[in-house]
Amino acid sequence: MEGERTSATLIRLWRVWRTTKEMMNDRGYIVVEDDMTMALDEFTRKFAREDGEPDRSRLNFSCQPSQDMLAKYTDAPTKKVPNPVPNIGNIWIEFNHDENVGMKQLREYMTHLVQGSFHSGIMVTVKPMTGMAVRFLRASTTLSDGPKGGIEVFVEQDLLVNITKHELVPKHVLLSDAEKSQLLERYRLKQTQLPRIQATDPVAKYLGLRRGSVVKIIRKSETAGRYASYRWVI
Amino acid sequence: MDMPPKSILKKTAEKPADPRHLKVALHHANALEDRKRVERDVLEAIMTLMDFPASPNADAKRPSPADASHFQDAVLIFQPSDYDALIEERNIADRCGYALCSRPTRKARSTARKQFVDTDHGVQIVERKVLEVWCSDDCAKRALYVKVQLSEDPAWMRQGGLGEKIELMVENAEEHHKALPLRLKQEGASTSDDDKELLDAAWAAQADAMANLALERGEKPGQLSKANGDLIQDQIMERGFSIAPPQPPSLPAQASDHTMAIEGHVPRINRKDRDDDEDEDDAQDWDKLLPG
Ligand SMILES: [Zn+2]
Repeated sequence: MEGERTSATLIRLWRVWRTTKEMMNDRGYIVVEDDMTMALDEFTRKFAREDGEPDRSRLNFSCQPSQDMLAKYTDAPTKKVPNPVPNIGNIWIEFNHDENVGMKQLREYMTHLVQGSFHSGIMVTVKPMTGMAVRFLRASTTLSDGPKGGIEVFVEQDLLVNITKHELVPKHVLLSDAEKSQLLERYRLKQTQLPRIQATDPVAKYLGLRRGSVVKIIRKSETAGRYASYRWVI
Repeated sequence: MDMPPKSILKKTAEKPADPRHLKVALHHANALEDRKRVERDVLEAIMTLMDFPASPNADAKRPSPADASHFQDAVLIFQPSDYDALIEERNIADRCGYALCSRPTRKARSTARKQFVDTDHGVQIVERKVLEVWCSDDCAKRALYVKVQLSEDPAWMRQGGLGEKIELMVENAEEHHKALPLRLKQEGASTSDDDKELLDAAWAAQADAMANLALERGEKPGQLSKANGDLIQDQIMERGFSIAPPQPPSLPAQASDHTMAIEGHVPRINRKDRDDDEDEDDAQDWDKLLPG
C-alpha cells in the first residue's frame, strides 16, 4: 500500500466503523479496545480490497453484552416473573453496500438475524433507506417474525463523528428497571409526568434507548456543578 | 439532607368527564385505529406485490385473472404515494415497476446519471433512474393507468367506502370476464355510467398528456408523432383519443396531474434544472419528470 492514495470512501468508512465500535462499547457490549482506536493503515490492511476501496462485507461484526449490560437490561423480579431474563443479547452489525436499500434488504437482514439467533441488529447503510422500509421497520418491532430486540438502521453519515464526544452533549445514562422504579417512587411520580426525549433523538438513537425507558442526563453547570435530570423515552 | 422531595409537577386536575369530550375522544381513537389498520394493510400489500407475479413467465399484457384481481384488490387502498413506494421497492428488487410484470427493469448502458437513448426522434437524454424504472414503455403506460385511478384521500378518510374497482389495461379482457370491465368499447352500454365517466376522464387525461408531449416536441396538437404512434398502436388502445382533439381532464384530482403522460422517460425541455443538486437522490424522479 506504500505510496498509494487512500480512497476517500475508505477513510470515511474507517471513521464510521470506529464510531460504531465506540457506540457498542457505550451501550455496554464487549468491544476490544484496539478496534476503537484502530489506525487507518491497519484498517486499510484489514478491510480494503485490492483496488483500495473498502470491502463492506468484511466490516460486519457481532457483539455480546457485558455482565453490567445484562443486569441493566433485566427487569426487577416480580411475583409473576421471579426470574426475569435480560431483554438484551447478541447483536449483529451489518454494513450494507447497496446504493438503494428497501424492504428487500431489510427482509433478508431480518431472516439472517433470526437464523443466527441474534437478539437484535444494526444495519448501517450508504444512503437512507426507502420510506416504506422505514415503515416496515417500525412495524417489525411488533411483528413476531423479526428478532426479539428489533432492528436499528443508521446511515453512514450519522456515524462519521461520534456525537456523544462533543463537549456540549451531556452524558446520558440509561436507568435499569429497578432504578427507574426507585426514581419514580422517590419523587412520587408517574413516568408520564417526566419530561420526555424522543427515541429518535440523536443521542437516544446512539444509545439505542427504547420507548418507556428512563434516561438520566448529567450536565455540568458553572454555578451548580453537576446536576442530573431525567427523561422518559417516547 | 435526605428529606423526601415533593413532586414538583402539577397534579392533574380531576374533573368529571364531559360526555361530548368522550365522544370526540372516541372518534379520534377510532380514526387512529383505522389509520393504523390501513397503514399495516398497505405495508402488507406492498410486501406481497413487490414479489409479484409469482410466475416467472407472467405477461403484463395478459395477466392471469387471479393475479389481476389480486393486484386490483390490493391497490384499492393505496394512495398514489403508496403506489410510488411499491414501484420503488420493486425497482430495488430489480423488478419492473408494474406489479403484473415479471421482467427485470431496463438497464442503462453505463452508470452515468444521464443516458443517451435512441428514439425515432434521434438521440435523447434521459435520467438513468427514470430509464431503470420499467422494463418497457408499455409497462410504464399500464402502470400509470392504474396510478391515475388511485384516490388521493387516505383510505381511512374516504367517504362511502374505498371507491371504484381499479381497472387494468389488458389484452385478454375476455379471460377476465366480469373481473375486468371491458374497455374496448368506450361508448359501449356494457359499462356502468360511473365506469364510463372514469374511463372518459382517464382517456381525456391521457389525450391531454399526449398533447402536452407533442407540444413540447414542437408538434401540432392532435397530430401523432411517430414516437407516440409506437406507444399507442396497441391492440387494446383502440381509436378515440388519438383522433379527437385533446380535451381537458374532467375528473378532479386524480386525472389532473397528467400522470397518464406515458413516456416518463422523456425529459421536459423547460423542466427545472436540478443539476446543481447532484447528490439529490429521490427515487421518485421518474414521476417528477412527467409533464404537469
Ligand atoms: Zn414490465
